[in-house]
Amino acid sequence: MARLTFITESGDNVVADDAFGTLMEVARDHEVEGIDGACGGVCSCATCHVKVHPDWLAKVGPATEVEQELLDLEDETDNRSRLSCQIEVTEELDGLVVEVVTL
Amino acid sequence: MDKCPFHDAFAEHRKQGDAIPITFDDEEITMILGFKAVRSAARDFGSFSSDAPFRVPIPSEEDVRTVRQLPIELDPPKHKTYRALVEPFFRRPLAPEYAEKVSDLIEELLLDASGKENIEIVRDFALPLQSRALTYLFNVDESEAEIWTGWGIHVFRDGKADAKDDFSLEDYINRKFDEAEASPEQPDFFSTLAYAEIEGERLTRDEMVGFANLAFAGGRDTIIQSVSSVFALFGMQPELLNKIRSDSSLINTATEEFFRMVTPLTHIGRVNTENREVHGVETKQDQRISLCWASANYDETVFKDADTFCPDRKPNPHIAFGNGAHTCAGAHHARLIMRTLLRLIADLNIDIKLIDLTENIEKQNDYERRTGFESLIVKLNRTTTSS
Repeated sequence: MARLTFITESGDNVVADDAFGTLMEVARDHEVEGIDGACGGVCSCATCHVKVHPDWLAKVGPATEVEQELLDLEDETDNRSRLSCQIEVTEELDGLVVEVVTL
Repeated sequence: MDKCPFHDAFAEHRKQGDAIPITFDDEEITMILGFKAVRSAARDFGSFSSDAPFRVPIPSEEDVRTVRQLPIELDPPKHKTYRALVEPFFRRPLAPEYAEKVSDLIEELLLDASGKENIEIVRDFALPLQSRALTYLFNVDESEAEIWTGWGIHVFRDGKADAKDDFSLEDYINRKFDEAEASPEQPDFFSTLAYAEIEGERLTRDEMVGFANLAFAGGRDTIIQSVSSVFALFGMQPELLNKIRSDSSLINTATEEFFRMVTPLTHIGRVNTENREVHGVETKQDQRISLCWASANYDETVFKDADTFCPDRKPNPHIAFGNGAHTCAGAHHARLIMRTLLRLIADLNIDIKLIDLTENIEKQNDYERRTGFESLIVKLNRTTTSS
């Protein structure tokens, strides 16, 4: 269980207090605007893109190879970009803040 | 009978490189094959343009329609403006009440089919499913599906809607827009387009028809083929269905694996904007290239055991819905249908026995590819489980 905050493109903060699963699943359960997770987490669609708050980059870790190749094709990504379906929520991520950026 | 309805039609072609010259109905086309090469080219509108009426589909469709299909036959940024007009309809499948309707529909069809001696899946299950579900997407009365079902598997090339002289699809679409324009605006697909504006200007009738034409044609044989493939594969490999039945977490990954292996649309065309070498193939300005999704999705450098259906494949970065700005707008709808179908076949304890099938083969000089079925007869049995 962890407390996560999603900052949407509209500027809303969506807080999930009892998060588990992947970040994308948590976002969908909380109807976070801008997270579709269309492919359900198999790294095919890039509809769950987030930018990790700089303070959390080390704990969240880098993108996987397949994920990074997908991110590299997009214009709006940078070194904070991750696909939220590829981030498993752990207690270590309690307090994590991510920005939702639709691609 | 084979153990798998899918195959990699381009394995030998990929050995020649990321692109090869092919002849398609007497047209010289440069076919891009490798996964990364296809994905990059799909996003490179400067080199490979979609702004080409009738020439995005392969084969081209000058002979079967009179209007530019929208928004697919446009490049960004104009494409984005046009796509935004219909995007809300294609996001409707994300709503829980929509998912519930689709579930009710598929359950009704499965229960009906499982009460019969046998059923021809393509025309008696997949076609009515596709047609009725499309009424939900368009937000029109479900009775409209009776007309659509009558058009057959492919709105341009099936049975009576086959010839240039018989524009039954366009006639129908025009009638719907006539009706929409004669009435106050309604929240359905036709009325929304009839009243839509871009930069303060209403759409032309050709533009409206172009939107509707693509919405009907693009999601028809693709969904029918995907749905049919579920019955074929589970009929050939019942152990796969048992695996999914015992682990519902596989429904999503198995759905994506169906899309990867079926890849209903073999390829899509773009027009080369200037003379250039495309992965070693000299390609002239205005010559078409093919983005071969069906090859890319079997690229063994990306997909291990690409010829094997792996229900738990993850990651699975397939591009069965295309890639980039033109990624299939109907993907949410298609995914919902397939996930629901898998879930219900599992939950309703339906077993599938294959009786007979006739494959569709896409046959060109340079390749042959299985693309679904002309006919697929199965028997569906509901089994009872002891608890």
